[in-house]
Amino acid sequence: MSEIPSAVVVERLSKSFGHGDLAVHAVRDVDLRVVGGEVVLIMGPSGSGKTTLLLMLGAMLRPTSGSVVIDGIDLATAPERELPTLRARHLGFVFQDFNLLSALTARENVELACNLGGTTGSKARDRAAHLLERVGLAHRTEFRPDQLSGGEKQRVAIARALANNPSVLLADEPTANLDSSHGRDIGRLLRQLAEEDGRSVIMVSHDERLREVADRTLWLEDGLLREILGLATDPVCGMSVEREASLHLQSEGEEWWFCSDACRADFALHPDRYASAGRSG
Amino acid sequence: MNGRVPLARKNLFQDRRRASLAVAGVAASLVLVLVLEGIFAGAMQQVSAYMRGSPADVFVAQEGVRTMHMTQSALPPSAVDAVASVEGVAWAEGLRYTNSIVDSARGQRITYVLGYDVATGRGGPRRLAAGQPPGPGDALVDEAVAEELDIELGDTVTIMGTAFRVSGTSVDGTNIVNTTVYVRTEDFEQLRGDNVAYVLVGAEPGVEPDLLARRIQTAVTGTTAQTRGEFARQEASVVRDMVADVMLIMTVIGFLTALAVIGLTLFTATLGKLREYGIVKALGAPPGRLAATVAGQAAWSVALGLLVAVAAAAGLGAAIGALTPNVVVLIQPSAVLRTGIGAVIVGALGALLPLRRVLRADPATAFRRAS
Repeated sequence: MSEIPSAVVVERLSKSFGHGDLAVHAVRDVDLRVVGGEVVLIMGPSGSGKTTLLLMLGAMLRPTSGSVVIDGIDLATAPERELPTLRARHLGFVFQDFNLLSALTARENVELACNLGGTTGSKARDRAAHLLERVGLAHRTEFRPDQLSGGEKQRVAIARALANNPSVLLADEPTANLDSSHGRDIGRLLRQLAEEDGRSVIMVSHDERLREVADRTLWLEDGLLREILGLATDPVCGMSVEREASLHLQSEGEEWWFCSDACRADFALHPDRYASAGRSG
Repeated sequence: MNGRVPLARKNLFQDRRRASLAVAGVAASLVLVLVLEGIFAGAMQQVSAYMRGSPADVFVAQEGVRTMHMTQSALPPSAVDAVASVEGVAWAEGLRYTNSIVDSARGQRITYVLGYDVATGRGGPRRLAAGQPPGPGDALVDEAVAEELDIELGDTVTIMGTAFRVSGTSVDGTNIVNTTVYVRTEDFEQLRGDNVAYVLVGAEPGVEPDLLARRIQTAVTGTTAQTRGEFARQEASVVRDMVADVMLIMTVIGFLTALAVIGLTLFTATLGKLREYGIVKALGAPPGRLAATVAGQAAWSVALGLLVAVAAAAGLGAAIGALTPNVVVLIQPSAVLRTGIGAVIVGALGALLPLRRVLRADPATAFRRAS
């Protein structure tokens, strides 16, 4: 693979919905720099603005202010008609639901992405075959999504994300629909792609396992992004929560952290039920 | 597809049952259009079959009369000699003609009655299917009517209120409107006098029929002269004018049905894939690519529908022809082309609404959980 030197530079990125007193500030003054080869994990509670941030990084949502520069191009100010091409050529997407096209085979799914980046014919077919081989699916190229396991689907999705050799991969909950083993495999694969290709990988996830493969983990809450201090798992809902900013409770000598009052109250009523399911810290 | 993944075709045929229904629906509506056009074209051909099969280069009628159907033409017997004396005329022969009913024990049929000179055969049928040319008191009936009314050679039928023995059967004389019977000139004159309805004219070698027709019309007052082709066209146009409105309505219904089928099929297919279109958009598909996908689905539906429709119309035409000999279904290449163009327009219209939905698909749906 050719060297991909560029990085992601996000400066004072904000997104508000609505106006005046009714305005909702989904993302506020986010600054982020991701160098080539770096894997960044962004965590945060539901509704914290993760998807909004990802949509802006993916050139699918215009920010209210600030800039998102990828490969030297500011996506925030790029003309609307150029955004599809920018998405196809400079960004790779990996989704929670895999989002493979059900009518196409694994190879065709990857090939279609090549087509969107301007590569067609046998070149696109060869590229698709190569990428599927790279993610360990050389033997499944002619299978349709409904004939693949969850882990295989996500590998196809990753191959598709690499179709046009983008400098940045954006992954939205890439392990959420996978079991523990496959989730770890996908995490390692993303890490490998970052290291081998010098690609920047930005993942948004609740999955703490992904911290193992991330160079940095950031916490997004109420639209604000910051370096994470310490994480815990809410024993009731399983969500990752930042210790410093979360509700907590001591029970039988152990300390527990919760995403909300409701979870803490539920835990207080049935500590035995939840304590066996999760470990504090 | 320019070496691109054929998303339109793959999407359309992913659900083969739905795709088959769509193609069948489009085909059914186009069959309606094609068969109607075929019946119409067949009727046009049959209606003018006598003229087109005639050895005459020019038909001369009473002034102002340009057809046989729905008209009466009467020329004095002297008109035949007057026409024969015009420069460039090789031969001229009077044709007796009236409208009547052919009545048999099994039923009746509206008919042209043609009185012709059996010796020359010029005003007679193009070909006999069976039997002999008419002798005194004989008539030829068309084979289709003979079959329909169960008339055998030697049977007696009533024409112009007089009994005639059937000496033979002729071809190409029955159409959707009426049939044709032939009797001898002498028998016709006995019943209707010696006036001729038309003068059939043969041109001398090298004389253009068009020029000859003009020459005759100028030389013989009180006549209208037309070439064989023009006479046939005029005859066909009478019937065309009679059924044109009905044809138009039925054709519009056919195309509207096709429009509804294509529109509905594409719309449901698009709605079912709206999330996937959002994903393709998220991956970087420009609006043109999405539009091409929807248009491609419409094109596939129309192309396959038309193909099936042409095959079905041909089969149906043959079946109709076999069951009802007086109806000929003529599927002409021009009709297929016209129907194809209509279907393409209908397909384009049917794709508009789905296209609107696809172009509005939100790429952000790719980040939402599938329900």
